[in-house]
Amino acid sequence: MDSVENNDANRDELIIQQQREIEKEISDSTPLVSEQLPLNCLQAEYNGDEVFTDKIQELFKKYKFIRRTRPDGNCFFRAFAYSYLEYLITNNSDYQEFQKLAEASKDKLVELGFPSFTLEDFHETFMDVIKRVCPSHSETTEKVKNELHALFNDQGYSDYVVVYLRLITSGKLQEDADFYQHFIEGDFSIEEFRHQEVEPMYKESDHIHIIALCTALGVGVRVEYLDRGEGEQVKAHDFPEGSDPKVYLIYRPGHYDILYPN
Amino acid sequence: MAGSALRRLMAEYKQLTMDPPEGIAAGPISEDNFFEWEALIAGPEGTCFEGGVFPARLVFPPDYPLSPPKMKFTCDMFHPNIFSDGRVCISILHAPGDDPMGYELSAERWSPVQSVEKILLSVVSMLAEPNDESGANVDAAIMWRERRDEFNRIAQRLVRKTLGLSA
Repeated sequence: MDSVENNDANRDELIIQQQREIEKEISDSTPLVSEQLPLNCLQAEYNGDEVFTDKIQELFKKYKFIRRTRPDGNCFFRAFAYSYLEYLITNNSDYQEFQKLAEASKDKLVELGFPSFTLEDFHETFMDVIKRVCPSHSETTEKVKNELHALFNDQGYSDYVVVYLRLITSGKLQEDADFYQHFIEGDFSIEEFRHQEVEPMYKESDHIHIIALCTALGVGVRVEYLDRGEGEQVKAHDFPEGSDPKVYLIYRPGHYDILYPN
Repeated sequence: MAGSALRRLMAEYKQLTMDPPEGIAAGPISEDNFFEWEALIAGPEGTCFEGGVFPARLVFPPDYPLSPPKMKFTCDMFHPNIFSDGRVCISILHAPGDDPMGYELSAERWSPVQSVEKILLSVVSMLAEPNDESGANVDAAIMWRERRDEFNRIAQRLVRKTLGLSA
């Protein structure tokens, strides 16, 4: 009996290990957040695919640049944070407001029942990142943007920012559980969904994550959907609906990157 | 300050030392390496493991607390949720998706706001109330379900053994 159990356990562990190795290969070949790239780099990926190349042509009318994020399941959160902080570097009053909201967010999460002790590190790092990309009179915008880029490619900062945004998202789902319950498919309760699909790292984001995060932070996001859906147009969707977007993302099945409007 | 596993582990150690939960002691095996801990867990009162002090080892990954530690008892154990080599098999030690035992949806999972303390408390609950659905040790699960007296006798023998008494 023992040997059978152990074989089973070992096989599971081998599968997990193999999955980790594949993930590591992806990680090593993609930076957490890339440099700004010309949008036509997408054409090369879909060479010969008419549906996609036609849609990319349409996108050119609205966007010139893209910034890729590592496809590790955290891409929405990482792309969102990078793009919004980049916007804030040149928008001082929004920056000041966001900083206040971020500062107060920890107490709010504690009130919602998150353990203050383990929350602290993530909040501290989050605030540190915000402080380090403060719009400044003494430094050039270029320099602050370089700092943002460096921080987001430093795993110790970048991943902690992702964790903290996941917690804010989870907190919002809990706070407005009655509302968000309708969006959850299957037998999940809100509680289960938060612990299974939101709080753990590397779990991919769906509409419900986006709506909860954008609402919690009061930040409008436009997502352009590049998929095999009908028509030549890339469909755009604003979160929350009717908001004025500050963050622009492109979604291709399973992945978010950052877009730069003309 | 960048997030760091070491800083977090030091903070958790301090917290556990200052305010230890009942029946639990844990800390690094050596101050030179905060990524390997030893824990001592008292068998919960009113259960067949009462009176025992069970040593275990926790090994933390470099990206802790983004990923959970691994935990293994270093004494002889006989329990539905502990493999015969001592590895502990409970849901909080796994992130969702990383799921060798196919835990129930509602089972508590690892996330970065969990902690060593939460893990050890879950292990205490596991000792008190085995989950015979996810059988890491099938023999123990069957015996727990069908021949509880025999299970209790084995547990009592293990208790005496952890205390250095003859069985």
